[in-house]
Amino acid sequence: MADQRLKRALEALLHPLAAIVLGLAVGALAIWAVGGSVADTYTQMWNGAFGSAYFAGETLTRAIPVALAGLGVAVAFRSGFFNLGGEGQMVLGAMATALTALYLPGPGWLKLLAGLFAGAAAGALWSWFAGWLEVRFGIQLVISTLLFNYIADLFASYLAGGPFKDQTGQGALNQTPMIEPSARLPKLSATSDLHAGLFVVLAAVVAVWLWFRFTALGYELRMYGSNRAFGQYGGLRESRMMAWAMAVSGVLAGLAGAVMVLGFQYRFIDNSLTDPQYAWVGLMAALLANANPFGVAVASLLFAALQTGGMGVELNTNVPMQISSIIQYVVVLLVSVKVGHWWVRRRRRQTQA
Amino acid sequence: MNKLLEMRNITKWYGDHLANDRVDFDLAAGEVHALVGENGAGKTTLMKILYGMERATSGEIAIRGEVVRIHSPADAIRHGIGMVHQHFMLFPPFTVAENVVAGREPSRQGWFDRRRAEADVRDLCRRYRLELDPRRRVADCPVGIRQRVEIAKVLYRGADIIVLDEPTAVLTPLEVRDLLATVRHLAEQGKGIVIITHKLHEVMEVADRVTAMRQGRVTGRLLARDTNVEELSRLMVGRELASVVRPPARPGPVVLAADSLFLLGEGGKPKLNHVSLAVHRGEIVGIAGVSGNGQSELLRALTGDLPVDGGRISLLGRDITHLSVRERRLAGMAYIPEDRQHTGSAGVESVRDNAILGHHRRPEFQRCGWLRGRRIDREVESWVRRFGVRTPSLQAPAHSLSGGNLQKLVFARELAAGAPLLIAAEPTRGVDVGAMEFIHSELVKYRNEGGAVLLVSSDLNEVLALSDRILVMYDGAFTGELSPEEADEERVSLLMVGGVRSG
Repeated sequence: MADQRLKRALEALLHPLAAIVLGLAVGALAIWAVGGSVADTYTQMWNGAFGSAYFAGETLTRAIPVALAGLGVAVAFRSGFFNLGGEGQMVLGAMATALTALYLPGPGWLKLLAGLFAGAAAGALWSWFAGWLEVRFGIQLVISTLLFNYIADLFASYLAGGPFKDQTGQGALNQTPMIEPSARLPKLSATSDLHAGLFVVLAAVVAVWLWFRFTALGYELRMYGSNRAFGQYGGLRESRMMAWAMAVSGVLAGLAGAVMVLGFQYRFIDNSLTDPQYAWVGLMAALLANANPFGVAVASLLFAALQTGGMGVELNTNVPMQISSIIQYVVVLLVSVKVGHWWVRRRRRQTQA
Repeated sequence: MNKLLEMRNITKWYGDHLANDRVDFDLAAGEVHALVGENGAGKTTLMKILYGMERATSGEIAIRGEVVRIHSPADAIRHGIGMVHQHFMLFPPFTVAENVVAGREPSRQGWFDRRRAEADVRDLCRRYRLELDPRRRVADCPVGIRQRVEIAKVLYRGADIIVLDEPTAVLTPLEVRDLLATVRHLAEQGKGIVIITHKLHEVMEVADRVTAMRQGRVTGRLLARDTNVEELSRLMVGRELASVVRPPARPGPVVLAADSLFLLGEGGKPKLNHVSLAVHRGEIVGIAGVSGNGQSELLRALTGDLPVDGGRISLLGRDITHLSVRERRLAGMAYIPEDRQHTGSAGVESVRDNAILGHHRRPEFQRCGWLRGRRIDREVESWVRRFGVRTPSLQAPAHSLSGGNLQKLVFARELAAGAPLLIAAEPTRGVDVGAMEFIHSELVKYRNEGGAVLLVSSDLNEVLALSDRILVMYDGAFTGELSPEEADEERVSLLMVGGVRSG
């Protein structure tokens, strides 16, 4: 029995590992094409990502929002829904967190907890709303969640540039005032930016795993996600499944925004969450990991390492840092072939039903 | 005798599992040779070896007396071997002609020559008496026609040896009749035909020779005219099959009642036209009919998957017309769906997880929303044992189970709750003889213990063997009710095609 589980786990790993190896191979080809040394470039990339406590800390810091957003996608995906709205949910979560931590009266620890809660709640509501629209009016999730990103981003931009704009200091930036030090997530490292958001990620990974494996609701979502017709036959209602899957997915995306505000930026800064594409990298991580929560954490770390490592490459060799993007996109391309296949098969099943 | 095909001494090991043990098989031109056996007996493996999908561990294959090597389906096709798989491999959005010629399209100056493709297919159909409209989209064709397209495809590629894998599993009785006629006709034209099946009545009807297999070995090689169904099933199962023993029914109070159910279909034609029925405690009510006459809609309406446009459904006296699937299940309805793979299970999930859907909210199985893993394991373990589900472990994915075992698992899940009503749709479709025997006896046992069963099956023999009352459905309504004494195949068949109303 344990044997079989191990075998299944190894089989599940085979595809993503192959994608990564192939991605690195194509990267090597690209390095060779621009006249760099493959061995040297990859060494620099490794050093740039994990070469010292500082670089390792930066990589981990970058992986935090990616992993949380990725977990959000994974929860929806496992339940049979596509949540492409991670970015908007993250941005709204960040804004809700910043405003709560700024304006809620009380001691710092209360602001911190309330901030986390507000971020999670904002993400959940925004995500749930998209699900409700599909149940109520048949507006497809793939469309609504995608477009909701623009609404959320622009709305948060407006708040950060208008009513809640920090009027002190550099007026050019659209950002809220700083939250007070006692309401911040503690730093974990003297040199790098690594913060206690890491623990939020670890807790979320374990919680998602436990939830799917050991709770009745997680079980229902898993069955529903594996075979919708089977779920409905077993008495699971689509409206309820979608509400839960989307809300929990939104909680995780919202938390990604919340920890960025409370642990990294200490304020809401316009475009600071969208420019690095945390949510989209998280989506890729979820796909690469086939929605396994532990896998999402590892894949997030991998993608973050490619990014920070890419900077090391740019600094120390003549190879441009876009080499990282090449690797990343080759990996994602290979993974999405499988996902596309899954999606088409699923559509077909639904139309047959 | 002129041998089209000879397979000699074929042995196939999968790891340490012996799937074929020194099997000999041969086929003459103009012959229909049936290969029978339970699931897992090795007949599909043998044919996969022939078609180049698997390689034999040892043994040889000769075609027209010449030893050949077949390493891939392409090799097999080159040697004139064609296979019609159980699951069709067609492109539904394309037309019949396009599907038939796919892979060998006629072309003119590099462009697909549709007119010639259609003409070719028309010729082919005339020659082999296949009724097909080359311009029809496959997506619009019923299952029986799709299968004909598969056969045409194989013929178009010039196959002389045609293997049909469980061809009747998905067909209605009328379609089966057409198929068997086609098979006979192809044989008369000099084709050699292998038909893999476990429906023995069909074998007796169509085959010239029969090879029976059990546990990887050939257990009998007979001329069809020298044998009978009983002998063949003994060779397949290795023992006598008990026929269903059914003590007289002692019906109690009504469990399920449907009153004048009405459902409008597309184009204003009713799918269910004022259908009423009652199922009592301790009886099996069978619904016979050619599939597509409203049985699916009736099932969906009764189980809560499809809201009706009129009428009333009650369960144990309680109005359930507007209750959800879940509420109906809680009210005492168990349901074995028509399609165990598409609806009845989630293939990638474990046997354990598949076994508890619908029960998972019971207090024994969860406390405050947390599943009680050990209790569940213990319970599912006992169901698996009681229903003889052969599975490597509770953690094995459901799709690793054979059809019969998966169906037993579905059965176990639905009977485990002790629900007073069981709706069983096609409970033995595509399962082997052993599993069928088991499921039938369990159904009768459940009924003897006071359960109410509504049985819907397109297998007329099944309905006749099990039912205490038989309702015949045609065109969205019941055309008659018969007792098992007055129901014979002929009478029911007549009602199934809309013949005289009786009673």
